[in-house]
Amino acid sequence: MTRRPIYLDHAATTPVDPAVAAEMMRCVGPDGPFANPSSSHAMGRAAARVVERARRVVAARIGADPAGLVFTSGATEANNLAIKGVIAAAPADCRHLVTTRIEHKSVLDTAAAVERDGGAVTYVGCDAAGLVSPDEIERAIRPDTALVSVMRVNNETGMIQPIAAIAEICRSRGVPLHVDAAQAAGRLPLDVRRDGLALCSLTAHKIGGPKGVGALWIRDGVAIAPLLHGGEQQRGLRPGTLPTHQIAGMGKAFELADPAEEGPRLAALRARLWSALERIDGVRLNGDPERAAPHILNVAFPGVDGEALRFALREIAVSAGSACMSDNPEASHVLSAMGLTDAAATASIRFSVGRTTTADDVDEAAARVADEVERLRRLALGAPAWCSAWRSARLTDGPVFG
Amino acid sequence: MDYSAEVERRFDSPAGAGNVAGSGPGIAIGEAEDRVLNVWVRFEVQVDGDTIREARFRAYGCPHTIAAASWTAESLRGAPVSALERLDIEGLQRVLNVPKEKLGKLLRIEDAVRACGEQLSGGASGRRVEG
Repeated sequence: MTRRPIYLDHAATTPVDPAVAAEMMRCVGPDGPFANPSSSHAMGRAAARVVERARRVVAARIGADPAGLVFTSGATEANNLAIKGVIAAAPADCRHLVTTRIEHKSVLDTAAAVERDGGAVTYVGCDAAGLVSPDEIERAIRPDTALVSVMRVNNETGMIQPIAAIAEICRSRGVPLHVDAAQAAGRLPLDVRRDGLALCSLTAHKIGGPKGVGALWIRDGVAIAPLLHGGEQQRGLRPGTLPTHQIAGMGKAFELADPAEEGPRLAALRARLWSALERIDGVRLNGDPERAAPHILNVAFPGVDGEALRFALREIAVSAGSACMSDNPEASHVLSAMGLTDAAATASIRFSVGRTTTADDVDEAAARVADEVERLRRLALGAPAWCSAWRSARLTDGPVFG
Repeated sequence: MDYSAEVERRFDSPAGAGNVAGSGPGIAIGEAEDRVLNVWVRFEVQVDGDTIREARFRAYGCPHTIAAASWTAESLRGAPVSALERLDIEGLQRVLNVPKEKLGKLLRIEDAVRACGEQLSGGASGRRVEG
């Protein structure tokens, strides 16, 4: 049976906002600023002005100086540049990285690459709510630590990490702090200078911008080496012809994504969704609702197989953990770090609301989730405790035909 | 994970799900589970002489498990009791396009069906636990 598709996967990516698309289109045609922004002729300078305007807008949204922004292909590249670049620029005997077990794979896999290249990495865990302890970060910092990398908002649970406290520790220990803000930008107020960050990764496509463009903000004075070679663009840190239309799109997306406007609306939708889902027997919210970003809700549905539930909800776009991991049948590394069993972790779903989400979307999705959870539980009526420990006396036999 | 149209159809409308009505002679229940594979299945069959009159299942597991249990319940209905001795796993795999890594789940379905047969012949308890 095909039902109306509902998109609740805005933490994975978002549709390009029409105003962003229009801004991008303006840059690609023969009458627009399509020329190479590094060229010195008039058309090149026109394109460069578009890039610089976008740079100012993005920088303003995160409280940064525009000169510190380096455009990249997205947050994954920005994370790679931040971590590998700072470690590579550090003295050979100071290549220790501190990060957490709940980072995005683009940080964890980069950290693994640092280890393979002879560096050292300390991974800090989290508590049952998915929050990293600043004290543990402090204990992990060593005299040879070159960088601390902690995400602002966890991409699976939405937990807002205590970055200001971690930044204060890093400042006092003289260690630069890199923050992956891919899920935070546009949804939470960001001020890299006030918060004391040294580097900050951003992406456009999570907030109505195009895929394929992001940025790394680097505080003046932070030593960093490039990953790519082949030109002097962006101070030699990220050579290659600047994609004017992509950057213009990112600028427009950051202009539109005002946390003061979007945050409360998203938080209300998220609360509405949880209010409906929490009526399902045995459900559990993964994380602390008081410390959550406004757009992400991660819920465990005990008593159903996770793969079965996701297939049952295939007309609702949601994720099992992060989208980058959704084809991976293993339990989420984030939920496992929070102490969830494999069964509970694989039966967890990440819902994420966005600019195009409506109250009707949320209500209908919650109703469909409740129906499918009950149907799958009925199908397993009589199952042993390990797969039905949630069991409630309220569940009785009934139709299982969806 | 890709699912065939047959898996999708049987997952959405799992024919054969539920319990056999009534109790008494001629009814057998067989269960199998594997915690590692995250699968539990139970079959109930009702036989009349040498013929399986009714077969029903309950299942906890992935879409392939549910679809395979549904297909098995339907194929048992009207079959001779000897069909409880061995499932055509390869045929099941082919019909539903079940990936190789899920073969273990199909074997648990076979275990549950066999347990029904063993119970009918007065043998085992009708419950098999793996993993």
